[in-house]
Amino acid sequence: MSARRGAGPLAPAEAWFAGRGWRPFPFQREVWSAYLAGESGLIHAATGTGKTYAAWWGPLLERLAEPPPEPRRGGRKQPAAEPLRVLWVTPLRALAADTAAALRAPLEELGLPWAVETRTGDTPAGARARQRRLLPTALVTTPESLTLLLTREDARELFRELRCVVVDEWHELLGGKRGVQTELALARLRRFSPGLRTWGVSATLGNLEEALRALLGTGDGGRVVRGLLPKPVVVDALIPDEVERFPWAGHLGTRMLPQVVEAVEEAGTSLLFTNTRSQTESWYRALLEARPDWAGAIALHHGSLDRGARDWVEAGLREGRLKCVVATSTLDLGVDFAPVERVLQLGSPKGVGRLLQRAGRSGHSPGRESRVTCIPTNVLELLEVAAAREAILAGRVESRPPAERPLDVLVQHLVTVALGGGFRAGELLEEVRSTHVYRELEDDEWRWALDFVTRGGPALTAYPEYSRVVERDGCYRVEDPRIARMHRMAVGTIVSDGQVQVRYLRGPALGSVEETFIARLRPGDRFVFGGKTLEFVRVRDMKAWVRRASGTRGTIPRWMGSRLSLSTELARAIRARLDEARRGEYRGPEMEAVRPVLELQARWSRIPAEGELLVERTRTREGHHLFVFPFEGRLVHEGLAALLAYRISRVRPISFTLAVNDYGLELLSPGPAPLEEALAAGLLSPHGLAEDVPAALNAAELARRQFREIARVAGLVFPGYPRAGKSARQLQASSGLFFDVLQRYDPGNRLLDQAHREVLERQLERSRLGRTLERLSAERVAVVETRRPTPLAFPLLVDRARQTVSSESLADRVRRMQLPLERAADREAAAR
Amino acid sequence: MSDAVVELRGERLRLLPERAAFWEGTGTLLAADLHWGKAAAFRASGVAVPGGGTADDLARLSGALERTGARRLVLLGDLFHARAGRTAAVLDAARAWRARHPAVEVVLVPGNHDRHAGPPPPGLELRVVPEGTAEPPFVLAHHPEPSAAGYVLAGHLHPGVVLRGAARMRQRLPCFWLGAEVGVLPAFGGFTGLAEVRPRGGDRVWVVAGEEVVEVPPGPGRA
Repeated sequence: MSARRGAGPLAPAEAWFAGRGWRPFPFQREVWSAYLAGESGLIHAATGTGKTYAAWWGPLLERLAEPPPEPRRGGRKQPAAEPLRVLWVTPLRALAADTAAALRAPLEELGLPWAVETRTGDTPAGARARQRRLLPTALVTTPESLTLLLTREDARELFRELRCVVVDEWHELLGGKRGVQTELALARLRRFSPGLRTWGVSATLGNLEEALRALLGTGDGGRVVRGLLPKPVVVDALIPDEVERFPWAGHLGTRMLPQVVEAVEEAGTSLLFTNTRSQTESWYRALLEARPDWAGAIALHHGSLDRGARDWVEAGLREGRLKCVVATSTLDLGVDFAPVERVLQLGSPKGVGRLLQRAGRSGHSPGRESRVTCIPTNVLELLEVAAAREAILAGRVESRPPAERPLDVLVQHLVTVALGGGFRAGELLEEVRSTHVYRELEDDEWRWALDFVTRGGPALTAYPEYSRVVERDGCYRVEDPRIARMHRMAVGTIVSDGQVQVRYLRGPALGSVEETFIARLRPGDRFVFGGKTLEFVRVRDMKAWVRRASGTRGTIPRWMGSRLSLSTELARAIRARLDEARRGEYRGPEMEAVRPVLELQARWSRIPAEGELLVERTRTREGHHLFVFPFEGRLVHEGLAALLAYRISRVRPISFTLAVNDYGLELLSPGPAPLEEALAAGLLSPHGLAEDVPAALNAAELARRQFREIARVAGLVFPGYPRAGKSARQLQASSGLFFDVLQRYDPGNRLLDQAHREVLERQLERSRLGRTLERLSAERVAVVETRRPTPLAFPLLVDRARQTVSSESLADRVRRMQLPLERAADREAAAR
Repeated sequence: MSDAVVELRGERLRLLPERAAFWEGTGTLLAADLHWGKAAAFRASGVAVPGGGTADDLARLSGALERTGARRLVLLGDLFHARAGRTAAVLDAARAWRARHPAVEVVLVPGNHDRHAGPPPPGLELRVVPEGTAEPPFVLAHHPEPSAAGYVLAGHLHPGVVLRGAARMRQRLPCFWLGAEVGVLPAFGGFTGLAEVRPRGGDRVWVVAGEEVVEVPPGPGRA
């Protein structure tokens, strides 16, 4: 290295940093040098540690080493911005504006005629039109908006000058279909611009090397650059007073409110994270009711609120105007909110990485540590807090395994590329196989996907009316403008229920709620949204029209969304804590607090030891219950419950409904289940899984449920379809109906295979299910008859979302059933 | 196959697991919402739905005609799903089905889909009658609206109910929903969805449970 600073290729960056009284970190220099040497890689750094400039200055330095821009010519005020060179992909469109601002900061001083713009679902029509003619030098965008650009006929031209793609928060995309979509887009861009360099930015992950491979594809090289590691994190909990007096199973609701108010009061600025949008609404309301003087000083933030409202909240946080913001994961990521001193987490974080990420939103002032305080929503969650702290201390952070060649995303991509200038089969196959996710794509899978978009089914069937993608002289294109329009509207892999915009009769839009919620409202009903009480007036033009209502009472909408499952790391840590408790060892305030509940569990049943599977058998008015406690997280339990029910139902005809949570599962049947016979016949055996698991998944209709997402991504079901009118309504069918029709008339359809595979791998984490059975089959099974549901069993008992597995005929089952006449009956039952 | 029999205004109506009803007194088979060519209409818009459904539906319709020995078939609306679905393959299959039952008179009460799909194609030998045609004691309709002219037999809704039972069992099934003035048939077409209906006191409901039609007792149910 040259001793003379200022002459090397990094000099302009050093100078710019020095001008601000900063010095580049060694990892930033490493990235810049690697970039200039033509390398790609993955930067692994905590939020707020300079990762943005680590990735951004490479392209800047490269440009500065080239001839300076031409001097301004006489008549023009500004030279035209240089063509697109850098793409910056971010998972949250909410981050785009802040990122663009950070990227713009050095430009003027450097005298570079570069334009930095954003393009997301929030980009106004005017900017889109301008971008249709000319893209900026650097474009900040989302995977979905990037894919939309790839559907443009002139896609190849657009990206010709592209030098660098930065994928921000890669860990958020990896592991899901948005990550797959990004991998395919990157492969396309590499084809357009062969020297393209790709840099990813990721938080702590258990599988960084794999994350790098997924980002770079099958090409050689690439390096992982370790940035600054997160600061030490303090994890604690608000402990409910007098735990004995709380319902150990039910929700604490907002009973913890006084302590939360106190915690918010103490901190200058705090973030209160919840796991659902509904919780955000109810806690915001509760805080305001407790402290009316905080009106204007606290706010809420979630993904269904209108963009303007979210912007206002984010700005308020940055400027330190807000005392507390109640938020969902929409504030997990992104630029720093420096004033945040304390993070509160409502309910279980479910995973170690997630808790670390949220904790990292606090403590950016020098000399401060990151602190996260968990607020239990039921007493047993204290166990999870203790377990999470232990896992953080031991440095055990989860991995995010990338998805395995989902054909629905491939099908969507084929149409995207057919629109974006068309493709030749051999060339595109090679390109698709250059991604990590499809590196082992088989010839017949590829053939099937190609047939699916060109013929609508297996090669032997002829459907002359079908022409999504048309082949002429070896080139595949979309010719029907209606199909092109439908595809552009449906691009993406984020699946949600139909959304309805909520709008004042005379006034602005407030955000959106799910159609199913609005469908249950009658004019005059009140509901709470965005922290306001609203009166529902009517639905018209796919909008829910409302007016402001007085008072504070109203239903809170529920948004669907997958329920998070406990990670393996956390599950293991919980089993260890329980084993200690069984031996009478209660370490730390959370374990002390939960002690009375666990002692009750020990008295009524037992606390499962390591190496022991606890099964509780109880009879109630509802029927015969089997509660099984593997402590493996709800996803594994879902598959396991289906499997156990299926295996028991083979002993003799019986019907079960199933419930699961993170700790265990419940099989409920009208009559007693032949548990002993089933155990003797190998109920927990890992043998025969290959046959039993698919049968069990079918019986519990798990694959049918998973098909919802696949049908949407593969273009069978269309998302809410604005301005579509009558002709579109004739194209509506539910994914369940598609699943049934495919199963019956095209059982070889690979999207069905994919549904099974996804349930197994993604939903149930097949390897985890297999490992769990290996473990359980070696364990001692402790069957305990209990007189009433125990503290561990009760939360399962009250879970109302249930699957059915039965070996009885449908008609036999139907004969024992009734038709509830009115909804009042449901409400009454729910209240019991 | 196990049918259910109900007496309505003095006439015997058999409710069939084929998702159709048989009016014994006049030898009439009634079926609603067949939605022929729905899969083809989807395909024409680039949605890859496999064929085979129409052939199955036609076979089931033939089966019901032959099993009951019906002399007449009344279609209560939405025979064709959409104009784009009237492809050569669908029409050929429909005509071949028709040729199998030359002695059966076929009557169509047009539904909302039929209006968009256009007039019935030639070769189907069917007679179109207006909605609300009275055949005492019944009125033939597509839309389930009460009529002064008699008890209305209709479709349109694709009715289904959710049943509940012990151990929190829950089952969603297509149904026949017979109220005081209007009776609604389940959708006949295989590629059609269900709309959950909420019967009121006094209504009677039969569900199609596989090969059987089972009357379900109304009750508070245990949720």
